[in-house]
Amino acid sequence: MSGPLSKRRGAVVVFLVCIALGLALASILARVAHAPWLNAVLLVAPATLVYAIGTGFSAFYLCRAYPLNKRQPAAIAGVLAVAALFAGLLWATLLQFLNSVSLLLEVSWLGVHLAQSLLALFFGLGVLLYCLAAAVHYLLLEFVRAKTAEQRGLEAQLVAQEAQLRMLRTQIDPHFLFNSLNSISALTSIDAAGARQMTLQLASFFRQSLSMEAHKKITVEQELVLIRHFLDIEQVRFGERLQVALAVDDAALACLLPPMLIQPLVENAVKHGICGLTDGGRITLAVRRAGSLLQIEVRNPVDVDQGPAGGNGVGLENVRQRLAGAYGHEAGVHWARRGDAFEVTISMPAQTGDTEEQ
Amino acid sequence: MRVAIVDDEALARGVLREYLARHDDIEIVAECANGFDAVKAIAELAPELVFLDIQMPRLDGFEVAELIGAKTRLIFVTAYDQYALKAFECHALDYLLKPYSEQRFEQALAHARAQRRAPAQLQAAVHAAAREAATRAAPLARVLIRDGAKVHVIASARIDYIEAQDDYIRIRAEGKSYLKSQTLAELEAQLDPAKFVRVHRSYLLNIDGICRIEAATKDSHVAILRDDTRIPVSKAGYQKLKVLVG
Repeated sequence: MSGPLSKRRGAVVVFLVCIALGLALASILARVAHAPWLNAVLLVAPATLVYAIGTGFSAFYLCRAYPLNKRQPAAIAGVLAVAALFAGLLWATLLQFLNSVSLLLEVSWLGVHLAQSLLALFFGLGVLLYCLAAAVHYLLLEFVRAKTAEQRGLEAQLVAQEAQLRMLRTQIDPHFLFNSLNSISALTSIDAAGARQMTLQLASFFRQSLSMEAHKKITVEQELVLIRHFLDIEQVRFGERLQVALAVDDAALACLLPPMLIQPLVENAVKHGICGLTDGGRITLAVRRAGSLLQIEVRNPVDVDQGPAGGNGVGLENVRQRLAGAYGHEAGVHWARRGDAFEVTISMPAQTGDTEEQ
Repeated sequence: MRVAIVDDEALARGVLREYLARHDDIEIVAECANGFDAVKAIAELAPELVFLDIQMPRLDGFEVAELIGAKTRLIFVTAYDQYALKAFECHALDYLLKPYSEQRFEQALAHARAQRRAPAQLQAAVHAAAREAATRAAPLARVLIRDGAKVHVIASARIDYIEAQDDYIRIRAEGKSYLKSQTLAELEAQLDPAKFVRVHRSYLLNIDGICRIEAATKDSHVAILRDDTRIPVSKAGYQKLKVLVG
């Protein structure tokens, strides 16, 4: 319940409930005490209204002060029991008082003969109604809390994903950008057309990577376009030192995956593989669909004199987390160094636009 | 002026070649695509100035800088390395950031021509910058030792011990000894302190190679290595070993 409209509507609902309750109780009183209808209504209605307002506020604040999930059940029960008894007592006393005043006025349509048993009955009703009010408040609070939690969860998830992609973008090695610009600078005087071509490749790469949204999947085909731009640019820098072999199933092209999942692996292969070898080598990228699984493999040669591939860790761990976030246990990434080669393998569910779950 | 260009990318070397071609008094005596070739060429051809890229396979620019002599002036070239840039600024070394304009290139060249720092001072600055840039991430994974025009690469994990000898240190690894012009304290600061312990004023020891420790005298011990080499251990060194080895 938020906003002025909701409050007004809520107030109207409460008022109507009070009226209905008052009339019902008046009916009971008229029948049990054999009192005139008018007399019963004039006695019970005001008392009910006062009781309802007091009960509403009291239950509201107590329920918020004693949340179900933060206090001992015994403490909650105790506090509410005491409050309910007080509410019932207050109501019975109020009825007694109003009735006494009415009788003193000696007007025929005011006042009812109230026996002790009737007061006891109203006391009991007061206690029960208070408990009911508290229960309703708890339900409302829990409903609001759950709705808020869900909203907050979704927002947090989105923020986390955006932050992740932002980080991923910055993980594109700054060396890549500046070395590429340096190559373009060199080409301007020896191969003007080549310089223009490389400039366009670089622009395409950054335009595509910057336009991707973290929470929207792309097809393998789209990711491969980005990777081809990246490799074409690196090819200019490294010349014959960089060899590339792409092996992609036609069946895999339409499969969906989180954006820029493969590109960091290819970048790692260049940065920690080809860059470290005087004679360079061949990077192999294989993407295949095997039934309901999409399998991605990136392989590159490494310098045998180099220590354990320390630089690869952060990027690979990021890939692992992104897969866990998107697919839970259904996806995995594994990497290993075998002799003079380094290999990364990803398995994930093969989803297409037709089977998209999100 | 005799100049060498060291960069693993042909296009990057081309930019420098193009800019240098405008100077009649400059002779390009070498173009190298990797660090090993650079150390060899610099040793043989003795250029007065070297444009030295930092990111290169197997031997990076800093490692080359540490291996060549003090007579050569250097201009470092890099695409992006915030730590290296800080080291350059701190030690007043010149550098070029790719891509760079011809104007910036001319500025660096003029500065190199006018270089008046004493060779020893310049070499100290280069070494300090190299160390700061190299150890920013992790302990040294390998030690480089120059032998004439040849360069030995020793993985740190394979070193048994290092012994101080006057102005040199003797590095023992896999049954061979190598002499390197460096102080024991410098190398100690670069190696992984969880693996290499200064057990004696003159010895830095790889604790993985220790077989056992024996008492030599009342106040001193000796460490026995796998190949039965005996390394003296001072009282302070013994305390360090007890903490690490248990």
